[in-house]
Amino acid sequence: MTKKQQKAKDQVLVIGAGMAGIEASLTLAAADKKVYLVEKEPLFGGKVIKFEEVFANMECSTCMAAPKQQEVLQNEKIELLTLSKVKEIQGEAGNFTVKIGKKARYVSLEDCIGCNECFEPCPVSLRNEFEENLGKRKAIYIPCPGALPNAPSIDTENCVRFTKGEDCQLCKEACMFEAIDFDQKDEEVELNVGAIIVATGFDLMDSEQISDWGYNGQANVYTALEMERLYASNGPTQGKITLRNNKEPASAAMIHCVGREKAGYCSAVCCMYSFKFIHYLKDKLPEIALYDFYSDLCMPGKSYQPFFEHLKDKTESVRFQDLKIAHQNGKVRIKYKSLADQDKTLDVDMVILAPAIVPAKGASELAGVLGVEQDENGFFGFQSSDRSPEESGREGIYLAGCVLGPEDIGKAIAQADAAAGKVLALLG
Amino acid sequence: MEKRRVMNRKIGVYVCECGPNIADAMDIDRIIEAVSGLENVAVVERYKLLCSPDGKKYLAEQIKKHKLTHLVVGACSPKQHEATFMGVCEEGGMNPFLMQMANLREQIAWITPDKEKATERAIRHMKAAVRRVRYHAPLEQKEIECNADVLVIGGGIAGMSAALLLSSPDRKVFLVEKNTELGGMVSRCEKLFPDMARGSEITESRLKSLKEDDNIEVLTGAAVENVLGFFGNFVVTVREKESEPREFKVGAVVLATGADLFDPSALAEYGYGKIKNVVTAPELEEMNLKGNIALENGKEPKSVGIIHCVGRKEKGYCSEVCCRVGIKISRYLKEKIPGVSITQFYQDLCIPGSVAQAFYEETRNAGTEFVCTEAVKLSESDKKIQIDHDGKLDAVDMVVLLPAIEPAKDTSKISELLGIKKGKGEFLTEEHEKIGPVTTTVEGVFLAGTVSGPKTVRDSVSQSEAAAGKILSSLVPGRKLETEARTSKISESLCTGCRTCLTVCCYSAIEYDESRGICTVNEVLCKGCGNCAAACPSGAAIHQQFTPTQIHREVMEILR
Repeated sequence: MTKKQQKAKDQVLVIGAGMAGIEASLTLAAADKKVYLVEKEPLFGGKVIKFEEVFANMECSTCMAAPKQQEVLQNEKIELLTLSKVKEIQGEAGNFTVKIGKKARYVSLEDCIGCNECFEPCPVSLRNEFEENLGKRKAIYIPCPGALPNAPSIDTENCVRFTKGEDCQLCKEACMFEAIDFDQKDEEVELNVGAIIVATGFDLMDSEQISDWGYNGQANVYTALEMERLYASNGPTQGKITLRNNKEPASAAMIHCVGREKAGYCSAVCCMYSFKFIHYLKDKLPEIALYDFYSDLCMPGKSYQPFFEHLKDKTESVRFQDLKIAHQNGKVRIKYKSLADQDKTLDVDMVILAPAIVPAKGASELAGVLGVEQDENGFFGFQSSDRSPEESGREGIYLAGCVLGPEDIGKAIAQADAAAGKVLALLG
Repeated sequence: MEKRRVMNRKIGVYVCECGPNIADAMDIDRIIEAVSGLENVAVVERYKLLCSPDGKKYLAEQIKKHKLTHLVVGACSPKQHEATFMGVCEEGGMNPFLMQMANLREQIAWITPDKEKATERAIRHMKAAVRRVRYHAPLEQKEIECNADVLVIGGGIAGMSAALLLSSPDRKVFLVEKNTELGGMVSRCEKLFPDMARGSEITESRLKSLKEDDNIEVLTGAAVENVLGFFGNFVVTVREKESEPREFKVGAVVLATGADLFDPSALAEYGYGKIKNVVTAPELEEMNLKGNIALENGKEPKSVGIIHCVGRKEKGYCSEVCCRVGIKISRYLKEKIPGVSITQFYQDLCIPGSVAQAFYEETRNAGTEFVCTEAVKLSESDKKIQIDHDGKLDAVDMVVLLPAIEPAKDTSKISELLGIKKGKGEFLTEEHEKIGPVTTTVEGVFLAGTVSGPKTVRDSVSQSEAAAGKILSSLVPGRKLETEARTSKISESLCTGCRTCLTVCCYSAIEYDESRGICTVNEVLCKGCGNCAAACPSGAAIHQQFTPTQIHREVMEILR
């Protein structure tokens, strides 16, 4: 067990290294706080690094995230702990003791230069979860080109050395830098921190929950995140938008509000990213016929409606009440009821669903560890006018980003800085 | 001038093999041979991995051993390791700005399969870096003293929240409000969505804390008349009521001046101001606050129509909060006037987030009717108000309009005073909508709340605390501010005073000196974007690490 004893009030734990966690860490580090930034994945950057572009200005997402990621990696005040999970928290505001389980990467971050030579010889081929299973990876892998930290990790659940006890050394032999170390062990890290910021983000509604929208992971019905990876220049198709049979779609439909009824709320960003997909699709396939199925358009704030107006002529907008999806001879059949109560049918090559945003997997477990409450939907925090949005209900623990509920990047960043502000005011 | 200075250079050139990454992709020996003979080059070496601890040590020792004046490192992208090698320069006793990297890995090795071509390209890049670095001059990162006090303009929910989070024994906050009372829009709402909390209770609890806080000075009936200076060192002039103007020194400014509502009398279809009992949401709030929701004849309305999106088309954006305000109004009308029938006329229901939908559904299930319509037209008929919605007719006793949120009347004045540009919807512009929602292009000036666009109370509070967070982290009492070293300079003798540079500077870093008739760069504010250097027609504005000579030599060598 590693023990890091320093003055608790000079140290802060940030859980979740997406855009909100990164922002909070940088703001805290600028105030000379030592920040431990804990991330469960082998890479950091959260959901934003899966996107090619961000609405409404269609800026390159990587160009927005990467400089901040580099700042984190180069900042001596920030220690990024990947493959790590918070296991236990004791104490109180100003003096928390935190236990973190840190899984071994089996690749030395000091020695590895990210040349990728070790992937090729690995005999295991798997579906790449980062690519929403649209691409393949090996048992030693980086999730996508450009992932940071720029060093692979070994997936011990699939590496034959760990699953079958085979003496496979192919990756180690391929490494010129002696960066692969099978003897690394999982660690437990104990930290002393004065405050904690939770920025664990969101997930999209589970594929099973959206199966009644025709999603089965095989037919040409895609989730929003799958669409993001299909368009991504560092994605499995290098940005070529193709169907599962590698053909280009001649028609596509975006469907908003998928799972909204089940979730019981509007996920705030789906209308906007569905408009973004109009841009994606028309950019790559100018001839494609597009249909945008919505129930209410939600584009709050000063900049979103102009974005919609700029794109609305490129698609047919259909306001639906009830909608069902069936698979029909390789096509996707959409049966819906229009606002005027007419039953209609439309066949398209591709359907892109906008599933509800739900609390990140493991949110309940984390809430238990932290001793903070969740609302009826599983998000953290309180929707009370009398409290700051970032308050968790437990002093010294603050919240930022989609752990509070669905919202756009701008709001998440503001919450991250607000949470950092709360921490700085508390710890001085 | 520059030519004479470069005579005594001793340039060290180092090629990193980056394991097989660079070594296998090109012929490093040929690169070494090609740059060895260049003017001022004292030593050329290759190394296995320069960014490794051993590599860094080796490089620092080389600088000392050969008494190098300049350094060229051919390795990976500067994004990866420029900071690393700048650190090595300091270790070796060399000014870090006298180093230039050539990106042999990302820009050549990884994208050029043909070894011959890669070698040729690498030679060009290395030569370009050598030619360029000869003209590098040492630059200094300066430190300046700063004042940690803060001026918050606007005493609504955002301004109050920011002031409270910022104040501390070693940081004074001046909270300036133009009205005689603090509280802003929130204090004028009896209820807030979604928890139906009392607006006045929320503001009063903050007012109490403000009064008890010795580190906050509240100035009401006051206006900011002038703002001079820059981040860490602003001088602001504030005039309170009829008294003499006062001057404060502050390090940062938070703009929380709020927004106004669209005036519906501009639109004939709503008959506002002409048809009796057509009121706006704030007017109804006022009635509610006074405890008397009534028609002009003093009777309670039996039926109310609530019209969404008033002025949305004219403004060109959705005001984000109106749907939820309409639902909130339904709630309290039902509570205050049992049996009242309420119909909401909306285009699209905008109820984002995890709780608004439940708030809406409960309201709908409790008997409020929601009618989706493209457009409505109001007219007076038989003591009632007739609502024509897409050709269908309804008659009600009272109509409540939900007007769009628009920039406050004095936005232009504030924009000029602080140099923050107006942008979308004519609201003040954030540095970046996504990753810089509360910062601006003027360092040290922050935005919070509806001054930058329509927002909920919750998001306004969040922004105000974000602005406070940014200030708490960057303006620490007793700590000096570090300035950017790679800034622009304007030559006094070459500047003609045309002021082209003033129009392109994003950071308000250039000032026109009336007495001398020239422009000058404030090194503290300059971020080194180079806009002025590109725009200057007389070559007076120069970016210190992208001088015309540096760029010329570098490009010539690449194109040779």
